[in-house]
Amino acid sequence: MTSSPDETAPLLDIRGLHYRYAGASADALADLDLQVHEGELVAVVGANGSGKSTLARLLGGLEKPTAARLARACGHDLLADDGRIAARRDVGVLFQNPENQLVAQCVEDDVAFGLENLAWPPADIRRRVDEMLARFGLEELHLREPHMLSGGQKQRTALAGVIAVPRRVLVLDEPTAMLDPAGRDEVLAAVRELHGEGLAVVYVTQEMDEAVGADRVVALERGTEAYAGDADGLFADVALVRRLGLGLPAAGELALALAERGRGLRGLPLTMDALLEALGGAP
Amino acid sequence: MSRREAAASAAPRPSGLAGMSLACRDVSFSYEEARAPIPALRDVSFVLPAGGSLALMGASGSGKSTLLQVIRGLDAPESGAVVLDGAAPVDVGYAARQREVGLVFQAPELQLFASTARDDVAFGPRRLGWPEDRVSTAVEEALDVVGLPPAHFAERHPYTLSGGEQRRLALAGVLAMRPRLLLLDEPFVSLDPGTRRQLVGILERLKAAGVTLLLATHDADLAWALCEELLVLREGRAAAAGAWDFSAAGGRLLAANRLREPFFVELWRRLGRDPQRAPRTAAAAAEDLS
Repeated sequence: MTSSPDETAPLLDIRGLHYRYAGASADALADLDLQVHEGELVAVVGANGSGKSTLARLLGGLEKPTAARLARACGHDLLADDGRIAARRDVGVLFQNPENQLVAQCVEDDVAFGLENLAWPPADIRRRVDEMLARFGLEELHLREPHMLSGGQKQRTALAGVIAVPRRVLVLDEPTAMLDPAGRDEVLAAVRELHGEGLAVVYVTQEMDEAVGADRVVALERGTEAYAGDADGLFADVALVRRLGLGLPAAGELALALAERGRGLRGLPLTMDALLEALGGAP
Repeated sequence: MSRREAAASAAPRPSGLAGMSLACRDVSFSYEEARAPIPALRDVSFVLPAGGSLALMGASGSGKSTLLQVIRGLDAPESGAVVLDGAAPVDVGYAARQREVGLVFQAPELQLFASTARDDVAFGPRRLGWPEDRVSTAVEEALDVVGLPPAHFAERHPYTLSGGEQRRLALAGVLAMRPRLLLLDEPFVSLDPGTRRQLVGILERLKAAGVTLLLATHDADLAWALCEELLVLREGRAAAAGAWDFSAAGGRLLAANRLREPFFVELWRRLGRDPQRAPRTAAAAAEDLS
């Protein structure tokens, strides 16, 4: 993005954001700040109902903020109607439930849907769709009707459709929740690859081990920011983790259980490899 | 259902819930599609003893949800039979047994519809024709079991509950019918870790009370923590049924079915210990390692 007027400007720049659902007595998001730069991967965690999905929809320009001092996505003003419409092209959002975004008669038409709306030439659409079908292992299902797919297959189809349109920011709302372990690995690998290609990624997840690899973790609590920083810092504060309705990755939970039994490990391992190293190094 | 049948199924059960045994014998099922039927289950056979717990795993699209729906009786198998407590579908009393099979759908909170938590949970028991005082007791018990004390939650509108609370409310709606065999379709998906821990606790208590558990999940760690046995479906066929097998062959079978070993099993293997004897919880693992 060398043509960008300001290289250091965050792609997502949110300050003092409020959102309240119609008829609700409290804000779903309150006074929230979030900046995400090109190439950053930010994990968003929090209990059910803490505002993660609401935030994802706002970042994608799908809802109008109730109020904000500043709310910009890829330079577009999310407080303005035309700004939100423009933002939807640069920011791809994958919803929690893929049922809500499969619209076409078959898998490949669904993957092509966004490109057709952008009036890509048919040959380019064909090439891009084939690339996406291969990337998500959907080649054999390309003519299958969406309602005949399993949950995991639907999620892969939806993700392929979101990524088919060239994006600057990807907002993923629990993209692996419905996938089998191999499907989860495929999606995580694709997300890492897209991140490696310089895409900014906001990754909402309930899987604590998925948050470990993020550049930054933001934890929400009743619509406000309860923590922002690296994963190590979040998981080191066990009281906060519990209060937020979260947990530690399995390696961390075992380290805590060991510490309770008087066998504290050096540091707090958050992965299998770190745990094995800590166990080997312990007396 | 006739009133007489309703009265029979409503008869008070001896305290302590005797689990129901389940056997599938060569169960096959296909979905109709315009071009050709898509086979979803093919000759699936397995046995789950009363009070047992079975994890149902397999790749996306392998037939897990279909199998649960067939066992519940929402779809009739094309061939083969679902045997409940030793009774086949042709036997007298089968329909009553079928009503004692509870199915918690994937994302069941999407089906909440009543204007209070109490009425939502009461829907099933009322449809069974239970008298209102029995319905009321069942509703309050079920709300308690899922950690939504009736004093605080019974009169709440379901949509004012958090996602985790809605999931537990939907579970209460199934538990209120006092199932002796509980089928759960990916119950942990989209729950925060704290709510997952609560749900694991609820399922452990139901197991301890004798309820038979069949748990479809992609989460190997929770499957290992909760279930004695494993059924792996592959393209609608039972690729493995019975005890967990972490031998080299068992590992290959999991990988071939897009699954992975539970965390503690992998840890035990990498520590040079017997993976077959891996602990099921962090507490047990710490006990062993400290």
